[in-house]
Amino acid sequence: MKKQVFSQQSVVILISLVMATGFAIFLPAFLTVLNVVALLQNVAILGILSLGMAIIVIGRGIDFSMVALLVVPSGLLLQLVQDGHSIPIALAAAFALALVFGLINGFLIAYVEISPLFTTLGTGIFLAGMGQAVFFPLDVVPWGPQLNSMEWIGSGPILQIPKPIVMFVLAAMAMTFFLRKTRLGSYVYAIGDNPHGARTTGIPTRPVIVFMYVLAAMIATYAGLVMAASIHSMPTRIYNSTMIYDVILIVIIGGIGMTGGRGRVSNVIVGTVLIGILLNGMTILDVSYSAQNVVKGTVLLIALLFDTYLNPRNEDTAQQGDV
Amino acid sequence: MADNILELHDATKKYAGVPAIEDINFTLERGEIHSIVGENGAGKSTLTKVMAGVVTLNGGKMLLDGAEISPQTPVEARNLGIAMVFQENSLVPTMTAAQNLFLGQENAFNRIRRINIEAQQFFQSLQFDVDPVTVVSLLGAAKKQMIEIARAVKNSAKVIIFDEPTASLTPEEKLHFFNLVRALKERGVSIIFISHALEEALLISDRITVLRDGKHIVTDKNSNFDRARVVKAMVGRDLSQTIYGQRKSVTRPAGKKVLTVRNLRMGSQVKSCALSVFAGQVTGIFGLVGSGRTETFKIVAGVMKRDFRHGGDVLLNDRPVSYVVPAPAIRGGIAYITEDRKLEGFFETKSIAENIYLGLLAKLRGKRKLVSKKEADQVGQTWAKRLNIRTINTEVRAVELSGGNQQKVVIAKSLIQDPELIIFDEPTRGVDVGAIEEIHKLINTLADQGKPVVVISSYLPEIMSLSDRILVFRTGKVVEEFSAAEATEEKIMYSAIH
Repeated sequence: MKKQVFSQQSVVILISLVMATGFAIFLPAFLTVLNVVALLQNVAILGILSLGMAIIVIGRGIDFSMVALLVVPSGLLLQLVQDGHSIPIALAAAFALALVFGLINGFLIAYVEISPLFTTLGTGIFLAGMGQAVFFPLDVVPWGPQLNSMEWIGSGPILQIPKPIVMFVLAAMAMTFFLRKTRLGSYVYAIGDNPHGARTTGIPTRPVIVFMYVLAAMIATYAGLVMAASIHSMPTRIYNSTMIYDVILIVIIGGIGMTGGRGRVSNVIVGTVLIGILLNGMTILDVSYSAQNVVKGTVLLIALLFDTYLNPRNEDTAQQGDV
Repeated sequence: MADNILELHDATKKYAGVPAIEDINFTLERGEIHSIVGENGAGKSTLTKVMAGVVTLNGGKMLLDGAEISPQTPVEARNLGIAMVFQENSLVPTMTAAQNLFLGQENAFNRIRRINIEAQQFFQSLQFDVDPVTVVSLLGAAKKQMIEIARAVKNSAKVIIFDEPTASLTPEEKLHFFNLVRALKERGVSIIFISHALEEALLISDRITVLRDGKHIVTDKNSNFDRARVVKAMVGRDLSQTIYGQRKSVTRPAGKKVLTVRNLRMGSQVKSCALSVFAGQVTGIFGLVGSGRTETFKIVAGVMKRDFRHGGDVLLNDRPVSYVVPAPAIRGGIAYITEDRKLEGFFETKSIAENIYLGLLAKLRGKRKLVSKKEADQVGQTWAKRLNIRTINTEVRAVELSGGNQQKVVIAKSLIQDPELIIFDEPTRGVDVGAIEEIHKLINTLADQGKPVVVISSYLPEIMSLSDRILVFRTGKVVEEFSAAEATEEKIMYSAIH
């Protein structure tokens, strides 16, 4: 193993600073308090989703159903309240739906051993389709006035800081605690580092993997609630957007290795900030949606290249000849 | 002067600086059947891989028909006329026999009917009874092998190398295979035959070469060999005594019976295996690769699953147990220390302390909901000291350690789980000499403390110096048991290779 002179995290912080300075110099609109707050607010939801994705990637998986899990359970909550059900019942239904899909993901991946990529692509499109076909009569689920007692989740700033940012910080703190201080958190790292080793060490790998996907589903639902409360509706069309790519971009560029077992919450935070600056700068520059995708795709591919270079799959590459 | 088709002079191949074969001189005469025999790791596979272009030499040269060659890839070797029939056959299971025969040489417009007819004619010319339109996955091992051989002959191979060709064959199929090999010889093909089964080598070869520890020991006509001479050449050692210490003079008596295995079965790898392990002594397990020794103990430790029906019994302290994952086995007190520490041993991105601490967490389960860095450090330091893991501090990541220290981390990770029965699988593979001695001392200490210890090893001197009792595996079961006093390397090897 080479000693790494630069950690990926410091490289990302450096790039962020360079980009931010560049935008600040050439775009007068960039470095205003309003814009910085807006920038963070826009990526706070992405940041929360990325926390969930980070756990999965650390445990050597991937979850493409996260956007569907952001949209459908929280949309269901809004719809049920709209239809006259009480808030506790609607909340229970939303989290039960997320739980069921987390369990399905986890069961198919851990016990049936289907690749996480295909499993979550399948459950994701199923869930999104179910939402659009069965639950929601409108593309945008409106926020009923009965819900105003829940508004605090996503709106109403604390000390001028917008609520989604506060919620992102809270989630990041909870996730830090989970990954660093709990036994289950250590298990997630162990499974991501060496799944066979974790099994022979006596770690119940399959239940832990199921737990990972359930947790990711819950985090996605939480992100959905924050989002709905902050924009006072749930636009179900975002399932069709490129949001999941932004999430993967944040996780990889932040330095959570796709090989598993590597990365921390701080990686997600720097990744979120970098992507926030990138998206915000492009918006101010009035780069078209399609051109933004070209940039995002390029950045994602470069990040993947770096990730492969920095975190090579050791067990494959270091194989020696059989003597 | 013999007519040599293939010659190797001072052939040397090193993997990461460690020689797998060293200064080997080897000649293959035209139209002979030449067997290469030796223990696991003697260098048979490497030698033949060099000839087949799978690996290239670091030193020495290879001559084919007197001209120097150096094939870089198996394709190149095959074009030169050297073909290898691998242990694991290389046919495409979803294609027919004919398609496989022509694989890689199809015309741009590949007419199935034409290749079926040509394959039929070709199989007939070899007197192989293979239906060209049958899909390969439906064929038995012997038929698959025929297709492989046919493919080699079709590519006008002058030299065909067989690596353990009889391992998956039934006795009748074996006889048929030997006839095939003799027929090939009649066609002027030279054959190299690698086998663990000594009888087969003695039955079929014209000449036999014995390798040991990567070196050429002896080559002679078959008629000058008998079993005893081959076995002696395979195991005779000089270096081993200095590394592995003398044989023990006092053996420990058997304590309480801790583990009983009865009639254990798993697919084709473990067949009606029965054995017992006693407290307070080291039970050495010897067997060649594929004898089912590792699989048997992996079933005991829950790493593998026995057959669902008629899988047999495992009794721990006279209580039947059946673990299907390792976690409950560890709670039950069985520690299996893997032979492949990279694949299923340590966590490479974690420090020594974290690695060992994970072992503790897995054992304690619900009693440690939260982890403590302090406890991890403490555990790391205690065990690094106890097992003499040499490093600057316990924060170093496991992947940066030497093989010996990695092995000690894996051992510590299991011992912290306070096991009742400890199974070491190849405890000193890829471990430096100093660490070998320490690990052996540790194994002896555990047995002295009254623990039942199992040591699985392919290396006879290791088995001889550690064991109080030796069980020999062959074809998926225990075939012989020796006490340390009566065992000799020759006797053990004799029963391991029927």
